[in-house]
Formats: sequence, structure tokens, C-alpha cells
Amino acid sequence: MSAFRRHWIWLLALAVLLAFPFLFYDWTKGRHSGFVLTLMSEIGVMAIFALSYNMLMGQAGLLSFGHAVLFGLGAYCAAHVVNLVKAGTIWLPTELVPLAGGLGGMFFGYVLGWLVTKQRATAFAMITMGLGELVSAAALMFMGFFGGEGGISIDRVMDTSLLGVAYTSPWQVYCLVLAWAFIAAALMQLQTQTPLGRIANATRDNFERAQFVGYDPRMVRLLQFTLSGFFAGVGGGLYVLIYEIVTFDTVSAAKSANALLAVYIGGAGGFFGPILGTIVVVLLQSGVSLLSNAWLLYVGVLFIVMVMYAPGGLIGLIFMHAPIWRIGRLRELTVPYLKALPAALLILAGFVMLVELASFTTIGAAQGKKLAIAGAVIDTGSPLPWLVAAGALGLGILWMRFAARGFRARWDALIEDARRQGVMS
Amino acid sequence: MSAPAIELRQVRKSFGQTEIIRGVDLVIPRGERHAIIGPNGAGKTTLFNLISGRFPITSGTIAVNGRSTAGLAPQEINRLGLSRSFQITSIFPRMTVFENLRCGLLWSQGYRYSFWHLLGRQKTLNRAAEALLERLKLGDRRNLPAGLLSYAEQRALEIGITIAGGADIILLDEPTAGMSHSETESAVALIRSVSEGKTLLMVEHDMSVVFGLADRITVLVYGEVIASDAPAAIRGNAAVQEAYLGTVAA
Repeated sequence: MSAFRRHWIWLLALAVLLAFPFLFYDWTKGRHSGFVLTLMSEIGVMAIFALSYNMLMGQAGLLSFGHAVLFGLGAYCAAHVVNLVKAGTIWLPTELVPLAGGLGGMFFGYVLGWLVTKQRATAFAMITMGLGELVSAAALMFMGFFGGEGGISIDRVMDTSLLGVAYTSPWQVYCLVLAWAFIAAALMQLQTQTPLGRIANATRDNFERAQFVGYDPRMVRLLQFTLSGFFAGVGGGLYVLIYEIVTFDTVSAAKSANALLAVYIGGAGGFFGPILGTIVVVLLQSGVSLLSNAWLLYVGVLFIVMVMYAPGGLIGLIFMHAPIWRIGRLRELTVPYLKALPAALLILAGFVMLVELASFTTIGAAQGKKLAIAGAVIDTGSPLPWLVAAGALGLGILWMRFAARGFRARWDALIEDARRQGVMS
Repeated sequence: MSAPAIELRQVRKSFGQTEIIRGVDLVIPRGERHAIIGPNGAGKTTLFNLISGRFPITSGTIAVNGRSTAGLAPQEINRLGLSRSFQITSIFPRMTVFENLRCGLLWSQGYRYSFWHLLGRQKTLNRAAEALLERLKLGDRRNLPAGLLSYAEQRALEIGITIAGGADIILLDEPTAGMSHSETESAVALIRSVSEGKTLLMVEHDMSVVFGLADRITVLVYGEVIASDAPAAIRGNAAVQEAYLGTVAA
């Protein structure tokens, strides 16, 4: 019972995630929305990837620019294993394909990690960046393993399921992704509570001190890198099952940047931060990219805003409220938040409008698209929409300054009260 | 048991053209509380860095518990039973006070790089960390990030991390520097208690601390040992008076 009380949040999350796709279920045709399921599977895979990245970034203080190498190589290993199973050479249940990816990622994590973990800090970051480029280049050279530009295709329907599931539908794949995402997240969470996990924190804080309590920081980095490679590889294995193809995109710098964005936006400090960041990044990437040519700009602006104003990420913003919640006065922030909301919406609307106007005058025009809001086509060449957008942005900023003053006063008073009640520490 | 705790033979260290340690011979028997004093720039901290393996020596030999430390990394020297603190506080600032102490204990309790033990379940380890916490009088700071402690508390925590692993040779680099009078007093009491039955080597500027704690004192001037003797003899040593104490001791 006490175990249930401590872990109910995981069960709740699992139930919500299983139920969520049914909101988009097409009852007339009796079919799930393929888009929603693929999107959520992508979030699951990228969440594993981002959490494995945070094993380096948040836990060990290692900034890697080439983490996708481990993800991608894990994916390639899994793809080859699937093809071997398909050919009848070996036998492996479909459910354990991600494990094959994980072992592949772990193997390359150890081998490549042996190279990159000799250094720390900036030198480490630079070497991982070089490694990312190296593997990307190798992916186009070694046809046998990487399959060149075409990549390696698989057929995930292998008839080797332990559960008798064919994995013909995205729903079945989604359930498998969900199961693995929970296993991987739980294991990574447990790993933070082991001697290696804690000493990784110690080398992050002060690597020299760690040496003088008996630990070799190089060894700590190497093992942490190897384990991180395992989980990245699990993500890669699931990726192969979802898309049934793996190309050199999976090892690319862009993929590595995704993990970094997710961790920074979500926050490296709390364990669940990278998951929040992943949800935001994937929604922008797969959702907003369908609506707007400028989606990458939004990701970039969000990243800059987070790094500048909320270095703790989304999870940091949430945790800031903890002392106020603990003295039971979180409700008093509702009104200040509501007062700031219209200002925030104005800023957002004005900014998005400006970006879209610009994007439709340039890329949109080249694609022959017209900007339309609620069916009304807007002439991006006339000054009026630009003035309206700039006006909304300007007004929003002024309003926000005004609202922020009241908010800050309320906030400071509550924090002061929390401090007096001794819940700050 | 016959080998001394620390033995230096003709140790020299140069940084570029400058020779900082110029042929130091020093033998510290087991169980002795030994202080190194000397004017600023005499090479006291450098000597610590050589003994603990932070820097390699240029020539000569250093042995810890009878084993030569040539070519050993700091963590390997630590595993021979030597632990040190730093002149500039060196702790794990983002981890809690309790975690700091537990990290100091991990290696000596044989956990190595384990990623299969859950720390919350290691009863002996956690009890040892709690006991150390109480001994340092940091019990009410248990869950605070170490970086938020006061200066004196951070110094105490650093001594705690240093002794946590149970090393039988303890090197303390200016443990009371920057402390108020009362803070110094409690720090001295702490050092006295934690070095009970162990070998203590410390660099210290506060003469009341040095003469109150040390069994033997070595005076280092410009990278050379000019005297190494019992406190009373050091006080009466003319060369020491001239080089160093003359301005301090009345």
C-alpha cells in the first residue's frame, strides 16, 4: 500500500497516456487517429532520448553535442537485428527489439565513450561535436551497416511476439513504446539513487574533490556515458519499430540538438524536466510545423527565452511555486496570474502575427500560399496587418510591465511568508 | 607497522624555471599530529599538493604508508589511506550536506562505481553518514545544499568529507583560516577529536592552533625545511625566530 502511495503518479500517468488517444478515436470508422498515435509515440521515444541525455547533462554536467550518435547507432543495431530475425537467422521477440537497440547503444557508448570521456567540460563538448560529424560522415560511407542515403528499412511484423501481438497497427506500437518508456524512465530514475549516479553529481559539482574521496572522474564519466548510451539506444530501437526505417538523420547534429533543446526547455534540474521539454519540442516540431513555415523560429525563440529568463526550465518554474504551495496559499496567485494572462496573450498574438506576416511574404509567397485568418485572406503587402500586429505586441509588453509589478509584489509577499514559516529550505 | 605514515626524501618541485620545493626531507611517524608553518610563499600548500598527488614531483621520492606514490593519481593515493582538505573550501555545492558526507564514505565502504545498489537501502552506510553529520553538529542542515552553508559550516563539512572515508592520514590545509575566534575554537576541538589515533598533517597560520594541537612542527622557508622539532624547541629556535616567528611570537 505504501508502495502504491509513493508511485501512484506513475500509474496515473500511464492511465492518462493510454486513455488520451481515445479522445481522437474515430468511432464511426472504429479507428484511432494515426497522426495522434505517431505523435505520441514520437514523444515517448524522444522522452527516453532526452532523459538519457540528461544523465550526461544534468547528472554529470557533461554537455554533449553528439548524443544522437548513440541513439542512431542503437537504431541501426536494432534494424539489423530485426532483419536477421525476419530472415530466420536468429530469434528475438518483437517486444525485446528495443533491448537490442539498447545493447547496441551501450556497446558504442563504451567504445566511443572511451575516446570522449578522457576530457571534461569544453573539451568534452568539442570532442562530442566532432564525433557527431564523424559518425554522420561514416553513415554515408559504410553502405553495409548504414545503408547509405536510403538507410535501412525493416518490417516490424515479425510474428515473434511474446504476447501474440502482430504490431500491424500504430496503436499496438504505441502501447509498446509506452511500456518501454515507463521501464526506461523508472530505471533512469533509480539510477540517480545509486552510488554511480550520486558520484556523477559529485564530479559535476567538483571533480577534483571526487578524486580526493577515492573516485576516478574519468571512470565515472565513462560509465555514465555507457549507461546513457544504453537508454539512448532503447529509444533508437523503438524509433525503428515506429517508422520501420532508420536513416543517417538519426545520428545527425539536428537530432542531438533536439535532446539539448528538450533538456534546456524542460529543465535539467528535476528528473521530469526533460519529459516536459520533449512534449513542448515535439509538439512544436510535429504539430506547429504543419501549420507554420516558421516553426523552427518559435523553437529558437522559446529556447532563448528559457535560457535567459528561466535557466531552471519549465520544471524550475513549477518548483518555484513549491514553498507557496506548502504554506497552502497557491490559490492567492490565481488572480495575479489571470491579470497577466491577457497581456501574455497579446504579446503572443502580436509576435506570432509578425512572424507569420514575414514568413508569408517570403517563403509563403514562393509556395503560392495566402495567409488567412478565419477564412479571411490577409494581404501581407498592405501596412495595416503589420501595424495591428506591432500594436498588439507593443500594447502587450506595456500591459505586461504593469501586470508584472502587481504580480511581483504578491509573489514576494508570499515567498517572504513562506520563508518566515521556515518551508524555504 | 614499521613504515612511517609519510616519508619525503629529497623532494623537489619546479614550475618552469622556478624551484618552489628545494629538497625537502620529512618523516612523519604514525599517530603524530604534525604542523607545517612558514611565511607566505614558502611552499606549504605546494608540499600538500605533492604529497596528495595533485601535482607530480620533479625529483625525489614520496612514500605513503610505506608505498611509493610515484605515478599514482590522487584517487589512488587516497585509497592508500590518505585524505586531504583544501585551503579554498572544496565541497559539492549543489548536493545536500548529507549527500556530501555519503559521497565521502562511498569508496571506503566498497561501493565503487555500483549502479545496482539503491543508496536509500544501504543501512550501514546511511547510519555512518548520519553519525558523521551529528559529530560535525550539522544535523539541522542535513538537507540543505552545501553551497548555502555559512563559511564556518562549509569548513566543518569539508573536514567531514575528508575524514569520512576513514583514512588514517589526514592532511588539512589551513582548516581555521578566515574563522572567528569562537569558530576557531570549535574547529580545533573537531580536529582534535577526528584526528584521535590518526596521523595528522596540517598547514596553519594561527599559532595558537599550531602550538595547541601539534606534537611536532616543521618550519618551511623558501621551499626548504629549516627546522623540524617539538613545539617548545621550535619556539626557542633562533633560526626560526629570525625567519618567521620573530614578528609574531613575543
